Amino acid sequence: MGGTINWRHLLLWAVFLGGMALLPQLVSKGTLRTFIFANYLAIFAMSWDVLSGRTGYISFGHPFLIGIGAYTTAILSYRFDVPVGVSIPLAVITTMAAGTLFFLPALRVKGTYFALVTLAFMELMYQLVQVIRPDLTGGTRGISGVQTLTRGAVNGYYLSLVLMGTIAVSLWAMMKTRMGTALSAIGMNEEAVEGLGLNTTKLKLFAFMVGAGVAGIGGAFYVHYLGSIAPRALFDINFLFTIIVAALIGGASTIIGPMAGAFFLTFLLEYLRPILPGAERYFIYGGIALVLYMYQPKGIYEVIRQAHFKLAGSARHEHNP
Amino acid sequence: MNTILELEHVVKRFGGLVATNDMSFAVEKGESVGLIGPNGAGKTTIFSLIMGEHKVNSGSIKLHGEELTRLRTHKRIRRGIARTYQVPRPFAEMDVLANIEVGLMPDSIIGMLTSGHSEDEGRAIARSVGLGEGDLHRDPAELSMGDLRKLELARTLATRPQVMLLDEVFAGLTAGEIEQISGLLNEKRQEGLTYVIVSHDLRSLEPLIDSAIAMTQGTLICRGSYQDVMNDQAVRMAYLGQ
Repeated sequence: MGGTINWRHLLLWAVFLGGMALLPQLVSKGTLRTFIFANYLAIFAMSWDVLSGRTGYISFGHPFLIGIGAYTTAILSYRFDVPVGVSIPLAVITTMAAGTLFFLPALRVKGTYFALVTLAFMELMYQLVQVIRPDLTGGTRGISGVQTLTRGAVNGYYLSLVLMGTIAVSLWAMMKTRMGTALSAIGMNEEAVEGLGLNTTKLKLFAFMVGAGVAGIGGAFYVHYLGSIAPRALFDINFLFTIIVAALIGGASTIIGPMAGAFFLTFLLEYLRPILPGAERYFIYGGIALVLYMYQPKGIYEVIRQAHFKLAGSARHEHNP
Repeated sequence: MNTILELEHVVKRFGGLVATNDMSFAVEKGESVGLIGPNGAGKTTIFSLIMGEHKVNSGSIKLHGEELTRLRTHKRIRRGIARTYQVPRPFAEMDVLANIEVGLMPDSIIGMLTSGHSEDEGRAIARSVGLGEGDLHRDPAELSMGDLRKLELARTLATRPQVMLLDEVFAGLTAGEIEQISGLLNEKRQEGLTYVIVSHDLRSLEPLIDSAIAMTQGTLICRGSYQDVMNDQAVRMAYLGQ
């Protein structure tokens, strides 16, 4: 929900990001690589949340947007030797433009239909990159040998942290403006928002373009971190659900929620790996997600917030018996 | 005469059902008109057509002489017309102040991102409809029906309308609350607002209106002073079957 920028919250952001910056001194390289994936997943989950978490238009096509960003910069830099400083901004612009072109008609339909239309886009993209100009996309095998931006886990971690931090604080500041209030209002009752004189199509399109822009940034930097791209890894239902579940399990319609969800999910799956190396891990994660939804549908963010209120309440109580 | 709202030969069909049948009437600036009729007469449909929530099949709706029928709802509101609903529909997870704030927002992306929150203006509007300081940070679920109606009025007033369409504003209210809302509507009218009011509570409606329009089955059957309309034979037939 909107509200004025609280300087105490800004300080908390600084402390959190400062603490994250110290991590390479404290954890192993392997754990750091897990953190890198968590940072990128947090970016994807936050970008999904801008449209879907706030306005309730659940997109199942998010990998479509990430894929456009990732493929554009990969093709430009690998096939045409375009410098990364140019190919990444171009990839972000392409994601926003292509996404808008495809999704704009979809924004006119609601609920399940919107979800299905967006899901169709993802599948369409998966099929298309394999058959249309495989000389550019690399077909089913994708592209490997894409230029990487950093060397080593520590640098890769810092790049992902700076990206995630910048995106999180920017989105947080944006959601504190009247825009955040208006987008949340659409999620609660779109007709009522229109009935108060606001063009909801324009607002949804703006939310969508911001979400697409962030997905494009995430996708482009992620491919330059991995150094390779393959269609099945991107346009995959598991990847899609990981993004959505991260946002929902953490707490949709917030900024910290999708981040918390991304970290929780990444580390949960990682720590389960030695015990359950196969796909059985997903049973555990499904079970935990289910219990969390039953106990607190608003996610981890709300659990932490309520615990904070309880502590603050009991502290106040002690001070003022 | 200074006509502010004008409907001419408005027709609305839902499949085979004619919900609005060649409806024409005009409302003068500063006037308060009651729209009455039995259940299913098509009163709320008229409001929906004026606001653009339903599209007319034919006919014209003008505000200040400007044709509205091609405009989307949000544009009509920017032209100075707004409505309330039979069932209030607040933003459930926002407090009272944030609810009012949505009505105060500029319809521009840049405006929303750069202009600050308008808490003072929101507070002033809340006060003007009788919502106290203690109500401002309450959630709609905690409000009584009377306070929900006040919130609905506050949110609608925040869009700065010149014409307000009020749909069953007294429904579900206690006698005390009805008195409060009536007083409030009278107060706002002194400031120059024009009303079209739908209400089943004719006793509460009478002191609020200058004239009444009676309709049944989507058709206007009588227009005149409240007394004249209530004494009209066709109106008595429609209401009482006699």
